[in-house]
Amino acid sequence: MEALIRILTSFGVTWPALIAQVVNFVLLLVLLHLFAYKPVMRMLDERSRRIRESMEQTELVKQQTAQAAEETKKRLAQASLEGQEILNRAAKTGEEMRQKTLQDAKEASEALVQKARSEIAAERDEAIDSVRREFADLTILAAEKVISRSLDKKAHQELIDRVLEEGESLKK
Amino acid sequence: MAKRAKKGCLGCSFPLAIGLIVLFLAMFVIGFLAGPIGSKMFPAIQLPEWLSVAKPHPELPAEVVFHLFGFPVSNSIIAAWVTVIVVILFFGLVTRRSKLIPGRLQSIIEGLLGWLYDFCKNVAGEADGRKFFPIVATIFIFVAFNAWLGLLPGFGSITVHTAEGETHLLRPANTDINVPLALALISFVFVEYFGLRARGMRYLSKFFNFGAFFGGLGLIFRGKVMGGLSKMFLGFINAFIGIIELLSEFIRILSFTFRLFGNMTAGEILLLAVMFLLPFLIALPFYVLELFVGFVQALIFGGLTLIFLTLAVTHKHEEGAH
Repeated sequence: MEALIRILTSFGVTWPALIAQVVNFVLLLVLLHLFAYKPVMRMLDERSRRIRESMEQTELVKQQTAQAAEETKKRLAQASLEGQEILNRAAKTGEEMRQKTLQDAKEASEALVQKARSEIAAERDEAIDSVRREFADLTILAAEKVISRSLDKKAHQELIDRVLEEGESLKK
Repeated sequence: MAKRAKKGCLGCSFPLAIGLIVLFLAMFVIGFLAGPIGSKMFPAIQLPEWLSVAKPHPELPAEVVFHLFGFPVSNSIIAAWVTVIVVILFFGLVTRRSKLIPGRLQSIIEGLLGWLYDFCKNVAGEADGRKFFPIVATIFIFVAFNAWLGLLPGFGSITVHTAEGETHLLRPANTDINVPLALALISFVFVEYFGLRARGMRYLSKFFNFGAFFGGLGLIFRGKVMGGLSKMFLGFINAFIGIIELLSEFIRILSFTFRLFGNMTAGEILLLAVMFLLPFLIALPFYVLELFVGFVQALIFGGLTLIFLTLAVTHKHEEGAH
């Protein structure tokens, strides 16, 4: 022990310097603990936590995206199907409507034509009647003038009717 | 240097590179001639006095620079203070502005501490590694920065006038035996503290292992002489091993102390000698060597402390006598 102390002293060990260095080191330990280890460890833990979290989140988002894409695809297919159906239905309705309109128009035009025809016929009959009457009167008048004699009313009428009949047959 | 010329790199143009190489060669030659070897070989060449480096006279005990309230402050204590201030400033300034996405300096610090932390975790396990990390990391950082800062200019070249004459203002702290001894004592204290805390009284039974011995004595009194004697013999061996363990615990302090002190002092003297014999450029590789030695010694001191701490808390050496 004596020898050890002598050796240490010869190497320069002194109580004040030794105590100073111990204090120095403890001070460094405490300060580093406060200013380096704690914040750095916290930061490293925090960072690894964040990275883990974000990786998990990424995985989740990826899954969700895949799911959403699947959903979208399904919806799209369904929508396209529905759209096709609606189109088909619309085309059918359109066709039906066209047919109906065509039918209506046809009927209306036929009715119009019919009506016009009957009116024309009636008009013509009336016109023929009036012409015939006029013609009869004129004929009588002319006959009276030409013959200058009066026939008895009866013979007269017979004559007229004969003429008219001739006329009728002529016309026809 | 020829390799550099061929590459033509160094970040400068070719003529500039050649000029630099010539300058280096000139420094090399002048340094060689200025040193004692060169001047002995070519006595005809006289170089100005200021070129030659003074003959070193290394001293083992650190010199006292001044007294603070009657407390002698040696140059190595000043150097240790410098180390503490530099380390705290370096770590404190960087970690104060630390962000989640690290900058370069922050990456360096986090890389260093993370590496040390992983080292502790690998050796001592998850829970113990976290407990041992501060002490191991501080030892590593303190020893390494002491060694590296000691290589800076100013250490061993700035001198001050004191009552005892001309002394150096700074001396690499590791080369004062008080620093390694202080570190070794702290390492010892922490080893015993963690050992006692983890295992209580059973930790001490590693050193004072008389259980089997007295058990054998008891057997003899109860009449079982043969069994008692053999157990006493076993107990004697156990007790002897315990004493050796106890001694080795203290011898560790000395081995810690002199390993660091010897390596660092030898390195310092090596640098001084090379600087004296062959000034200027030749000393450069030795500086690189000393950088490496500082790192290795720091790693050894921290690593051995970590291993002793781990041994102190593990239950592997539980005695069979119980």
